Amino acid sequence: MNLTFYNDEATWLHRLDPRTKIGAVLLIFIICLCFNHPLFIAVILAGVLAVFATAKSIKVLWKLRILLILLFVFSVILWPFFIKGKTILFQWHGLEVSSESLLYGFAMGLRLMTFVSAGLLLLATTKNEEITNGLIRLGIPYPVAFALATAIRLAPTFADAGATIVQAQVSRGLDLDSKNVFSRFKRFAPLAIPIFISAMRYTNFLAMALESKGFRPDAPRTSYYEPQITGRDWLVLGSLTLALAACLYLRLSLHWGIIIAGRL
Amino acid sequence: MTSSILFDRLSFSYQNSTAPALQDVSGEMTRGSFTMVMGHSGAGKSTLCCTINGLVPRFLRGDYAGRVVAEGLEAAKNSVPDMARTVGIVLQDFEAQIFSTNVELEMAFGLENQCLPRTAMAERITAYLRVVGLEELLRRDTATLSGGQKQRLAIGSVLAMETPVLVMDEPTTDIDPEGRRHILSLIRKLRTRERTLVVTDLDAEAAVQADQVWLLKEGRLLAKGKPAEILTDSALIESCGVRPLATVALFQGMNWPGRPLTVEAAAAEIKNRRLLRPRRPEGRAISALSPGKAILETRNLSYRYPAGAVNALADIDLTIHEGEFVALLGQNGSGKTTLAKHFNGLLKSTAGDMLVRGRPVNQYRRPELAREVGYVFQNPDHQIFAPTVGEEVGFGPRILGMDRKALERNIAEALDATGLSGFEERNPFLLNRGERQRVAVASILAVKPAVIILDEPTTGLDYVHQRDTMEMLKRLNQLGHTIIVITHAMWIAEAYARRSILMKEGRILLDGPTAAVFSDETMLAKASLAPSDLIRLRNRLGLAGMTLADMVKELQSEAVPPGSF
Repeated sequence: MNLTFYNDEATWLHRLDPRTKIGAVLLIFIICLCFNHPLFIAVILAGVLAVFATAKSIKVLWKLRILLILLFVFSVILWPFFIKGKTILFQWHGLEVSSESLLYGFAMGLRLMTFVSAGLLLLATTKNEEITNGLIRLGIPYPVAFALATAIRLAPTFADAGATIVQAQVSRGLDLDSKNVFSRFKRFAPLAIPIFISAMRYTNFLAMALESKGFRPDAPRTSYYEPQITGRDWLVLGSLTLALAACLYLRLSLHWGIIIAGRL
Repeated sequence: MTSSILFDRLSFSYQNSTAPALQDVSGEMTRGSFTMVMGHSGAGKSTLCCTINGLVPRFLRGDYAGRVVAEGLEAAKNSVPDMARTVGIVLQDFEAQIFSTNVELEMAFGLENQCLPRTAMAERITAYLRVVGLEELLRRDTATLSGGQKQRLAIGSVLAMETPVLVMDEPTTDIDPEGRRHILSLIRKLRTRERTLVVTDLDAEAAVQADQVWLLKEGRLLAKGKPAEILTDSALIESCGVRPLATVALFQGMNWPGRPLTVEAAAAEIKNRRLLRPRRPEGRAISALSPGKAILETRNLSYRYPAGAVNALADIDLTIHEGEFVALLGQNGSGKTTLAKHFNGLLKSTAGDMLVRGRPVNQYRRPELAREVGYVFQNPDHQIFAPTVGEEVGFGPRILGMDRKALERNIAEALDATGLSGFEERNPFLLNRGERQRVAVASILAVKPAVIILDEPTTGLDYVHQRDTMEMLKRLNQLGHTIIVITHAMWIAEAYARRSILMKEGRILLDGPTAAVFSDETMLAKASLAPSDLIRLRNRLGLAGMTLADMVKELQSEAVPPGSF
């Protein structure tokens, strides 16, 4: 599977300052937490999807369709068993499912999907280097920002190595389709050990290459991409802050968008 | 001539290692010179490279004695990032050193560390991308580059830092022939009066253009001198694990005067000195292949990667018979590996059929298929996991449910065939690359598959290990295994494969006896390939033999006796 999410286009979203996009994602996260009614969260999700469309990046979302569907399905199935509501739909050996808890499950599923989509929107429209740059300018210490960016950068590399390792061991007769739990455990070592060792070698080598190019985490350095905050950035941040204020007002003063009170 | 790099009684051994990596190396490289460092794997070439910018001993630690001075800076006394202003180094594994997400950012990385202002960066990026020939790819995602392009980008990003010393550790390893040609011509271009070049390579053909050749053996600097002095001594360079130049070897074998370093020089020499009578080259007899029963068959096989826009394989019709020794040749991306992965069902064709012994591959259960077709991946480290060689080799047969007696016998036979008898209790992670490669082959062999596919089995191996690996495959072939080798090393196909298949853009361009395929240099050029120097000379002389010994025999029967000059 290809884990590179960046989608090289030249839309307005790609041109936003990375700081703006990081801030915007955080604002969307908080807006999501304002409501627990599925309809309200669905509206937020629809908004995020619309932005995806304007960023010409729906195909990035499509890559993760399975993950998104799984998140949703599990949430809808599991939440109702842990939450109590008034309108009982059915009872079975002490377990009960109410229409409120079912709707709450829907809401949580949609919320998870919105979280993942918003994060993906950032990754789809922002280069790894821009994210690092943005984090540093937001005051995150360089080593932390660099480590985070490196993790994002290396995920696809290790996934590729992992895929090759799986093929190599399957070629030797490793049967990944077997259902037996014990044999599943036995399958772990032939895959995990080469993946771990190749990751170790790779990172060690990378560290050598970085130092050889004069990189040191504590030294000042210039940046080839220098994002600028423009009027557009302020517009995006301003509208999202207004939206957040409006949502807080709806929830806290008008008590809208609530399925189960007292919960996020 | 001013000194640029000075090695003064340099010795080094890595932590946790008893054998020294470098012993008492002394020598000087002058400013503006081009030095080629050669030697067997484990001779200390990479270690030597890493001492120049201080990666050894500042990053890779161990016992260090002596001194290395580069442009007046003593490497061990400065940090690696400080040395980076003077010494640029392109490390061996180009995949791992490309870090940025697009080409221009990769070029900018070192410049950002030098705190260059943006405009100056942009100028250098444009200038040096042109030098390495990647100016069209400014905004490309680095993950989508070919191996050769990645290597050129790695070189370009170091060049942009404009260091007076440039070190490249095996820049042509693991690259297809066309990429290799690009890089060798790039190295030629990089020679200027101001820049000191240090390059390591496994291949003597790359060293011809150098000012100096340094030969390392077991950590010692065995010899240094001009290419014409070092490369003409076939015995010396072979003792250092370097394949002798074909032209020199042929002239030595024929007892001809002169030691030409290139095919062109050799051809001119033969013509001028009239070493051969005029002859009619077209009378070459190439024996046809005598195939056994069909074992692998593809019928109109096509394949498209899930995200791909074009077919990676298109209408492949191919039959491979029992007992064949086949080389699959072509550029990266020509479809060799994709095709081979159909042979053992790792990939499922999008159209057409893949048959193993006449039965569709998807009707086989995985364990059944593993007994028919074994696949050795390029990098042995992608499969080695067990604490001992014995367990590693026994993994396949054990999961296929072989009983204890058969298991032990198969392990012993596999180790014997790969020359690893006595290694049962050794830790595979502590073996050298050549030995790990053999462990990987043994672990496939232990299952006794009828067909063994090997993807680039000689990458990263020196000449001696390459030859050992190929001789082992030859023995296995004689024992009845069908061997399919995917390779970029032309001499391996020439010397060992009886049948060669040329691929280009997902199609088969040419398929036939190796001796015939390698006679057709136009077709090879169409697939962006060229025969080795030995076979180019063979074709020019119109010989039939594919090995040095056969060519000498053939020539001796008709050459002018040496007395008649």
